[in-house]
Amino acid sequence: MSKTVHHSYYSMGTRFHLMLPGVDEDYGFRIFQKVKNELNRVEKKLSRFLPQSDIYRLNIAAKRHSAKVDAELFDILKACKLCHEITGGAFDPTLRPLYEYQQKMVGAFVPDELFYDLKDKLGFEKVQLDEDNSVVRFGSHMLEIDLGGFGKGYALEKVKNILENSSLKSAFVSFGESSVLAFGNHPAGGPWKIGMNNYLKPGKTVTEFEVSGGSVSTSSNFYLSDDGRLENHSHIINPKTGEIDSNQVAVSVSARSPLLAEMLSTAFLSMSDDEIEDVVNQYDEVSAAKADYSSGSPVITRYEKIEIAEDISV
Amino acid sequence: MYLNRKKFLEMTAAMAGSTVMASAMPWFSVFNNPAPFGMGASDRVRVGVIGVGSRGLTLLYNLLELKNRMNLEIAAVCDNYEPHYERAKEVMNGDVAAYKDFREMIEKTELDAVVIATPLHEHAHQTIECMRAGIHVFCEKAMARTLDDVKEMYDAHLETEKIMLIGHQRLFNPVYLQAMEKIERGDIGPITMLRGWWHRNTPWVFYDDTGGRGTALDRQRNWRFYDEYSAGMLTELGSHHFQVANWVLGEVPVSVMGAGSINHFDDGREVYDNFGLIFKYPNGVHFTYDCITSNKHNGMQVQVLGNDGTIELESNMWFEEFPAEPPAVQQLIDDITDDENATIPIGGATWIPNAPIRLGGRYISPDYELNDTLLYMEGFLNFVRKGSAPEKLTIEGYNASIWTLLAEEAAKTGKEVKAPDRYIL
Repeated sequence: MSKTVHHSYYSMGTRFHLMLPGVDEDYGFRIFQKVKNELNRVEKKLSRFLPQSDIYRLNIAAKRHSAKVDAELFDILKACKLCHEITGGAFDPTLRPLYEYQQKMVGAFVPDELFYDLKDKLGFEKVQLDEDNSVVRFGSHMLEIDLGGFGKGYALEKVKNILENSSLKSAFVSFGESSVLAFGNHPAGGPWKIGMNNYLKPGKTVTEFEVSGGSVSTSSNFYLSDDGRLENHSHIINPKTGEIDSNQVAVSVSARSPLLAEMLSTAFLSMSDDEIEDVVNQYDEVSAAKADYSSGSPVITRYEKIEIAEDISV
Repeated sequence: MYLNRKKFLEMTAAMAGSTVMASAMPWFSVFNNPAPFGMGASDRVRVGVIGVGSRGLTLLYNLLELKNRMNLEIAAVCDNYEPHYERAKEVMNGDVAAYKDFREMIEKTELDAVVIATPLHEHAHQTIECMRAGIHVFCEKAMARTLDDVKEMYDAHLETEKIMLIGHQRLFNPVYLQAMEKIERGDIGPITMLRGWWHRNTPWVFYDDTGGRGTALDRQRNWRFYDEYSAGMLTELGSHHFQVANWVLGEVPVSVMGAGSINHFDDGREVYDNFGLIFKYPNGVHFTYDCITSNKHNGMQVQVLGNDGTIELESNMWFEEFPAEPPAVQQLIDDITDDENATIPIGGATWIPNAPIRLGGRYISPDYELNDTLLYMEGFLNFVRKGSAPEKLTIEGYNASIWTLLAEEAAKTGKEVKAPDRYIL
């Protein structure tokens, strides 16, 4: 029997849980304090809601002129650009204005001229990054960056660094339940088994990932409340149509990097099976699963890298 | 996020029957039950402002704003400093009786109420003389420079039956109203400690062209630096938070300990540029408080620490100690305890709370930017119209001032100081 040090608090608009099996309580608390400090630092930097954050200021400045940013934010934007490119534009943290536009509409949304005009003015490809000078400029005054589909993964990347630099052998981190980090192995032995919750049978899983030292991120337009109610949370824009994605689908991505898992799970929600396969095949240790509930019961599709056997014929 | 008046009135109406409003802040009910204000000249409240320096001018502007919706006349202004005297006349477009002597003002101009914003050592005799002349008083904090003056002001208020309110504007802040409700409801559990601080990085010089510390003009204008006139940051800043601590706990301290010094702005000033205090309250609860004027990193705050959460009053935030555990997390902990590696049914979209969360906490009040000084002025004028104000409101100011001056004594003597019986109401 192993005692688990468990700390939790609210961060980035959701709840954060850190579980450290078999550690001294005081050491566990110090780790939590380090993690909390780092999460608060990241939130202060990346939140578009906080007027002092780097993103808040960039969203104002880069519309008008070239804005110099620090090395960390520049690297973040480069990571966004890379993911934007490898997902064929499906990962796009500039589309928030389209969400807000549709939210203002009363009744069923019907795209109009203003909507298409706005859509044309957005897109991460319009974010100009000057690597030599760490300078950013938006190619459109309507553009703004929302790192909602990025921040938790980035924060978990930082948590992973803290855990790797500790004497801990095992830890489990849940960030809003959608982004989890499984560090080391399960104390009972073997990799952690992370299941996709079954929306129709809460507490049961539809498929699972075995993870040691990696992360699983899930994106969906729905989430389960603690008492098992399915809540609508349509918030992701389909970059192809510009409309709010309302598919009854959940996508989970397992990757060694929490950040990669986070970005890809958001993108995969609006990508076809072939497109997802193409991306998964570019990476080692990335796999994904889609649960489609549109038929009334979950239909699961798994995406794993296709291993091509080495040709050893002579 | 601006709290508009409609929402504010809905909030106070909704809380009207609550225990917390009745026990801790009955004065908020005046907004839903204002005094009947006729628009005729006989119903007009005639107000004078004594002292129109930095704070006095702010109060004057607030009164001018209220004039748009209340039957109010700013009948007189008074200041013995020529530039302020002239500025006040200009603000009023000359349409006001202006004086340099408050006694002449209350003798020559018929007034229902005065607002006093003069240097601290002037408060006592001005307040007492106005009340004895039949005039209700709103006096800026702190009440007076000495304990005896504070008590004399309170006694005069009882004797004359005139309103005497002290300008701790947090008493009229809707965030505090909602925070008190949360505390009363037990959202943060039993209160186990309070912490507060007021940190700034400024020499705190109000007037540069006085000829330096010690000159007659400097003693008049930068009066906050001189022991004869002020206890410095204790009376001018700390007293606000000492009032809040008493209010939140519903008690006055048992004793106070402290220390202070001048360790940075040693320019001839006689008051501390930093101090630290510990107030002991009943039931073993302590309020630690520090103030510094040479470092602003921590800003300003009052934290109420409970066993289940923390409330940060100055930033409108509350933090839970133990966010609810999702079922999967509970299962995971049980499995680890049972040495079982079972599948964790965790993957789903991000759990979201029913209210926005920022930096680990939630807002106490989602809409909060409302001018509490304006609300206090409006409340005061309504009380004037009614002829009386809740006694508890006056006592809040009294106890804050008594304990501010006792804290000064503690810091100066290094002793643990209790309130002499004659100052306990």
